[in-house]
Amino acid sequence: MIVKDVVCPFCGCLCDDIEVEVEENRVVAVANACELGTKKLMGEKRMKNPILRDGGTWKDITYDEAIQYTADMLLSAERPLLYGWSGTHGEAQCVGVHMAELVRGVIDNTSSVCHGPSILAIQEVGHPGCTLGVVKNRADLVIYWGANPIDAHPRHLSRYTRYAEGFFLENAFRDRKVIVVDVRRTETANIADEFVQIKPGGDYAVLSALRAIVRGKTEMIPRTVAGVTREQLVRVVDLCKGAKFGAVYFGLGLTMTGGKYKNIRNAIELVSELSRHTKFTISAMRGHYNVYGSNEVNTWMTGYPFGIDFSRGIAFYNPGETTAVDILARKECDAALIVGSDPAAHFPRRCLEHLADIPVVQLDPYPNATTAFCNVQIPVAVTGIDAVGTAYRMDGVPIRTRRVLSTGYPSDEEVLIRMYALMQGAKA
Amino acid sequence: MRVTLAMRPAARSFIPIEAEAIVPKNFLSGTDLSVWRGNRELRLDEVFSVFVEGSADRPEDVEVVISGDGTSRLKRVGEYMDGGKITVLGDIGMHCGNFMTGGTIEIHGNADGWLGREMAGGTILCRGDAADYCASGYRGGRKGMTGGTVEVFGRAGDFLAESIAGGTVIVHGDAGDMAGAEMHGGTLVVHADCSRPAANMKGGSCYVYGTAHGMLPTFKRIGTVQHEGRMLIHFIGDIANRGKGNLFVKDYRYLD
Ligand code: SF4
Repeated sequence: MIVKDVVCPFCGCLCDDIEVEVEENRVVAVANACELGTKKLMGEKRMKNPILRDGGTWKDITYDEAIQYTADMLLSAERPLLYGWSGTHGEAQCVGVHMAELVRGVIDNTSSVCHGPSILAIQEVGHPGCTLGVVKNRADLVIYWGANPIDAHPRHLSRYTRYAEGFFLENAFRDRKVIVVDVRRTETANIADEFVQIKPGGDYAVLSALRAIVRGKTEMIPRTVAGVTREQLVRVVDLCKGAKFGAVYFGLGLTMTGGKYKNIRNAIELVSELSRHTKFTISAMRGHYNVYGSNEVNTWMTGYPFGIDFSRGIAFYNPGETTAVDILARKECDAALIVGSDPAAHFPRRCLEHLADIPVVQLDPYPNATTAFCNVQIPVAVTGIDAVGTAYRMDGVPIRTRRVLSTGYPSDEEVLIRMYALMQGAKA
Repeated sequence: MRVTLAMRPAARSFIPIEAEAIVPKNFLSGTDLSVWRGNRELRLDEVFSVFVEGSADRPEDVEVVISGDGTSRLKRVGEYMDGGKITVLGDIGMHCGNFMTGGTIEIHGNADGWLGREMAGGTILCRGDAADYCASGYRGGRKGMTGGTVEVFGRAGDFLAESIAGGTVIVHGDAGDMAGAEMHGGTLVVHADCSRPAANMKGGSCYVYGTAHGMLPTFKRIGTVQHEGRMLIHFIGDIANRGKGNLFVKDYRYLD
């Protein structure tokens, strides 16, 4: 059986044109997806049932037991951390926020280690963004800054920029210019019309210099800025000012380097400055397929996008203090529930040391690096494969993922709802 | 009146304690106050041994002395303080002196992040180092500190005096990256080195008596000035932000 218009639950592009061939309740072929998406849709070997750490070994337990364990753990904690959320659907994220509020814990998602700085910058100066469709059909200049889509978002170039047709562009491939800015020559840099190579840590200075040049203050700029010649900076500004519609996409090369959110703020302010001359927009290359959704859900429910501390019964937000890496590094939580992410694969060692010291429950279909730190792991259905639910694309467009297989696994939402019900009962 | 709060040794020593109730004014009506450890409300005397000597009928006559092991876990001490004195005989946790309008806080050890955040008046003296966001604003806020004085005798972390709009911040040691970012008023003085000072500044004055590393290319050099016996180079900026602030540095290096 061929299932059409499947949504790929891997990266923030959330491609919705995938075809999946299913035989005997197994995915046997995937069309249209990139390698990353194909791998995810083909699936890996899943964990069969919930497991509980029992000394040096694992013991099989039932879903009921695992859910009860988690509810008890969260209820007895003084500062539980509920972390992850970018690899699950919006409906499950909603339940997570309710749970965090009920047990007065801290809820944080993976944006605190990827595009959290982008959000901080947006909170300072706003977000002149647009959807991917607008860029595809109108942009005659695309800038990738500190992002390498060929590696991380393989179909971004073919669906929306370099290789995409554009409704308002006569010959999109010829008329659309691409600029790549990075500290090293990436694969994406090789397909650019202009490659700007910056010394590590120099993004902020280059952005400031570009803003000054857009304002006509070229003469005050030193001959080189962070390894970029003034001539090249002027050329980039001319390309920008000459464009009818420019779009900037930035990645972790800008958010996670020195100055962090100030880099993004500077990039947004450059875009505002350019918008005095032509039309310009800027957007983040969000990584996980539903990390944006987690920010959306948190924001509409609590007012804040990530790092929300309910200890005092009201929402308090202060990234750097109420975010998972900071809390773990400072040993400021005493239990953790991990949903839809693998912190042990990404977090600094200090954080993992604390994770090893406290009770940890993880909801994840597969054994992963975090499994080694868990007291209990509960396998769940994979959103977009055997569970349906809403995800938000990197440009904020909500897309409902489809189910291509039926397995017996409960979804994240189902498991969380049962935990929440138990906790509500205990509190009442 | 002198209130001494000696921290008791606590079992769960890593969970922070939010203690915004520790403000001189509150002790005028007794010591029946609560603090929070994570999501648990605790009486003040469950966390501290409390001693009160003398009496007072205005905050100016109250001194609170905090001591013991683990004071670095205390957050929000002196929040909204409007008079009197708090002395910390050790380190203090995050958000000490937030929104303060008057009085004095003296910290004998180091201060954690957001010391004197959005402060409007009064004085904070930190004898040790201050972590990131000392005398800064809040996330997304336009104005940070608007008045008062913060003096740090050790070093300061990154984003020192971010968005400062008034008041004075003095750091005797080095400051980290982005000191005085988004500054639009007030005065920031760093006695030693820092990096990328006054990024995106609109107004105010920033002095660096050491070297400004990674100096931003969008500050316009005006000339040299004599300042308290030092020869400093005067810049105007941040031109990228149509800024008219003054940046004075003894020495600077571009990332070229
Ligand atoms: S680009 Fe992203 S969403 Fe599209 S198929 Fe590849 S991994 Fe999936």
